[in-house]
Amino acid sequence: MGLVFTKLFSSLFGNIYYSFCFVVNLLVILVHFLSDRLQMGEVVSTIPTIGFNVETVQYNNIKFQVWDLGGQTSIRPYWRCYFPNTQAIIYVVDSSDTDRLVIAKEEFHAILEEEELKGAVVLIFANKQDLPGALDDAAVTESLELHKIKNRQWSIFKTSAIKGEGLFEGLDWLSNTLKSGGG
Amino acid sequence: MFSLFYGLWKYLFSKMELHVLILGIDKAGKTTLLERMKSVYSNIESLPHDRIVPTVGLNIGRIEVANRKLVFWDLGGQPGLRSIWEKYYEEAHAVVFVVDAACPSKFEDAKSALEKVLRHEDLQGAPLLILANKQDLPQAVSADELARCLDLKKLEERVHMFEAVSAYDGIGIRESAEWLVEVMEKSKRTEMLRARAGAMGQGPA
Repeated sequence: MGLVFTKLFSSLFGNIYYSFCFVVNLLVILVHFLSDRLQMGEVVSTIPTIGFNVETVQYNNIKFQVWDLGGQTSIRPYWRCYFPNTQAIIYVVDSSDTDRLVIAKEEFHAILEEEELKGAVVLIFANKQDLPGALDDAAVTESLELHKIKNRQWSIFKTSAIKGEGLFEGLDWLSNTLKSGGG
Repeated sequence: MFSLFYGLWKYLFSKMELHVLILGIDKAGKTTLLERMKSVYSNIESLPHDRIVPTVGLNIGRIEVANRKLVFWDLGGQPGLRSIWEKYYEEAHAVVFVVDAACPSKFEDAKSALEKVLRHEDLQGAPLLILANKQDLPQAVSADELARCLDLKKLEERVHMFEAVSAYDGIGIRESAEWLVEVMEKSKRTEMLRARAGAMGQGPA
């Protein structure tokens, strides 16, 4: 799943050249809660990210350095290595898996507690909107308890990574927010 | 002796951040207002208006007005997102409710949303500023007119004001911010929140 995002990122923005204004280190945390649901169409080839993928992409005059981190329990402790100098967190959750949203919520709030991520703005992708029964943005907000975030900017977007929907809107928000000074 | 304590109290108070909630139904202009506040009171360049997208989450603006630190919380106003508002009530010192004064057909929705806000007990005693926004448009109604249209009961018991503003070109923004600071300084709710922050051992934030 991480690969889908990474591929999308690079195919969407990789070839576009903008004179770059500043570099933003962007941390993408992809939570993989899916293996069983991946058997759809051409994305069968994605495998859970083990370790991490790094891509540098440009969008809206911002150069993003994207760390796509694997989400399995065993490697979650290593997320911490990528926290310094991070201006933004993109947290991706599976909107269709209500049980695991509980775990996603706990991990998420633990991450927000990290000293080195204090100033980072938060973008949440409520992913897998293409699946029936996926929760909408308001419901995901509720289950992730996003209202507990009071000292930084956050936003949530409905996405479907396999269809490529919602990603631009989210990144637009992110680049606007980072340009206007962030949280 | 008294003046010493008073001075200390003043000092502590000036250090405390005052939280202001910006609420209102969708497309009222809350984020534009926030951006305008930021550009009027700080050096931060505001977003161009065409770059402002509907908020689905929380925008934050930190500004300083008359030596007071204000933190604005701008929350999304789409119907599905209004359930988040109340999670922020407890820590808010004041509320700004933004209404699109140029769109009378939405007054009813704004009114019911605002009434719900006013009924909530977590917001007891919070000063309320109702903004008749979009005064740059010719069809916008005045602040008095808006007050009549909304016809709110239960307002008497609360410190409140109607103000005509245009977040787009900046009319009434300074007046609004200064009024907010003035009433928040005097409000019992500010005292209560300060005492609670002190009791929780955090000291003035």
